[in-house]
Amino acid sequence: METVITKSKPNKKVKQQINRGYHSLTPWLFLLPAMIPLILFWFYPMLNSLYISFTNWDYISPAYTFVWFENYTNLIQDPIFHDVLWNTLYFTVGTVFPTIIGGVLLALLVLKNQRGMGIFRTVLFSPWVTPTVAVAIVWSWIFEPETGIANWVLSLVGLSGLEWTSSSTWAMPAIIIVSVWKGLGWTMIFYLNALRKIPTDIYEAASIDGAGSLQKFFKITVPLVSPTTFFLTIISTVQALEAYDQIQVMTQGGPAGSTRTLLYLYYQSAFEEFNMGKATAVATVIILITSILSIIQFGLSKKWVHYQ
Amino acid sequence: MNYRIFWSGTMTTAKYLLLSFLSLLMFFPFLWMVISALKTKDEIWQFPPTLWPENPQWHTFLDAWNVAPFGLYMFNSVFTATFIVLLQVITGAMMAYAFTQFQFRGKNILFSIILGSYMLPVAATYVPSYVLLAKFDLLDTYSGIIVSNAVSVFGIFLLRQAFLQVPKELIEAAKLDGSNHWKILWKILFPLTLPSFVTFALISFVQMYNNYLWPSLLIKSEEKMLITQGIQKFFMQEGGYGLQWPLIMAASSFVVFPLLILFIFAQKWFVSGINDQGIKG
Repeated sequence: METVITKSKPNKKVKQQINRGYHSLTPWLFLLPAMIPLILFWFYPMLNSLYISFTNWDYISPAYTFVWFENYTNLIQDPIFHDVLWNTLYFTVGTVFPTIIGGVLLALLVLKNQRGMGIFRTVLFSPWVTPTVAVAIVWSWIFEPETGIANWVLSLVGLSGLEWTSSSTWAMPAIIIVSVWKGLGWTMIFYLNALRKIPTDIYEAASIDGAGSLQKFFKITVPLVSPTTFFLTIISTVQALEAYDQIQVMTQGGPAGSTRTLLYLYYQSAFEEFNMGKATAVATVIILITSILSIIQFGLSKKWVHYQ
Repeated sequence: MNYRIFWSGTMTTAKYLLLSFLSLLMFFPFLWMVISALKTKDEIWQFPPTLWPENPQWHTFLDAWNVAPFGLYMFNSVFTATFIVLLQVITGAMMAYAFTQFQFRGKNILFSIILGSYMLPVAATYVPSYVLLAKFDLLDTYSGIIVSNAVSVFGIFLLRQAFLQVPKELIEAAKLDGSNHWKILWKILFPLTLPSFVTFALISFVQMYNNYLWPSLLIKSEEKMLITQGIQKFFMQEGGYGLQWPLIMAASSFVVFPLLILFIFAQKWFVSGINDQGIKG
């Protein structure tokens, strides 16, 4: 370890390797505390889950049979699974788009460092830190069909009240509203950061050329924040695939399975029906979708580096 | 010119009005939670709802606190979250140190694998992890929750990013002084990158405090339940008997407000964590 990197060039690399422990055990001592839990509770379960999905294991009995793709073919033929895929798509699109568009608009509103903007940012972002379980309970009360304030607001504008979480039509919108409410501030923070990086002289130049505010927004802001938009679309989609707490509190996947998403089906198959083969097959579907999304994210983010 | 000043003044006022309205809308669920907690059982079922309770029932908070062991639930959550954060900080810092200060065989592959798996949903690991914890006899224990959360991939990235910013000369100088790697990590890198540690610790703490699905699978004994499980259980129970909404809203307030207060004091750390690494919400 005494070998200091000197200016002698020939064997600098070798010395550096010795110096930085290329062949020593020390790096592994530093990796080990994280590697053990990572392997046990992250990499191994991912692979093991795939293995279980080829079996008919029911958790209780120790024996199981290898059924190859039966769980998958069953899923594909199951009309419930089709509904679940549709619900997942509905929930994802319904949550991701408003969160992103709302996030960029809020960011534009609170961008300038005027008086009081800090307070607005804090308030708008605050739902993100609160536990989904607790706020979903509050929203259940807001959506209460008989005396809930959501229906009162609807009655103010002359609309009749909705059954919200007791209706298979309105349960999903209710869950989407909660999810958007919780995620808006988070996307706002990302956009604030992205908007601050846009040089102001671009806008000034555009003004001199006679561009209006809307024109500037669509011709300058939107293209320049597009890497952020893209990144947020992917991440929010992954998050939407992981949504569970608000569904569990507000609807338990109902009524009539109308809010049962992939993750909720996974939970029900595994921990209510103990059909581990089916559950892990659903998990594979979720992993597959997220893997495709993250490959797209990595592939395209490299192309977009010059923007940032 | 006057017209222009007038116009920009109007725009600013309009913006403030719009922002005030939107902020009220976003904050409304929290307000409504407290207002509803203060209503009597009769008043809460009135339609149209009263916007402020006729006779605020402040004692409902005390009643709710005494109906279920919320203090215990909260302690359990804070206790496990603190332990988890400590472990995640140590494991994350050590791994980040290895990735930034050592050259070793397989480093790039290992880093790619960890990076590549970052976005995968944790929930997909729950069946095998549950089985594994059952084998170790760790179901319904805090150890089970703690060890299964001992590493945060987000933490590894955040700290790695921070360590990369530290000038190499400082580390080389410490090596010359005879410091070993352990010392360099905690005596030199740690103080220099403290803001990243604080950010990570806060975000991770909040995530663990708010965590629900995984703990609800593991913990079954009432006295070990975490606050998220406790509030959900309370909601289901009180929901069974003609819905005690004031009590439920009071209980939700206990759960939500500590986090809101923590957030108000520490928001810059949360915001910088989000900007640096793009954590999953």
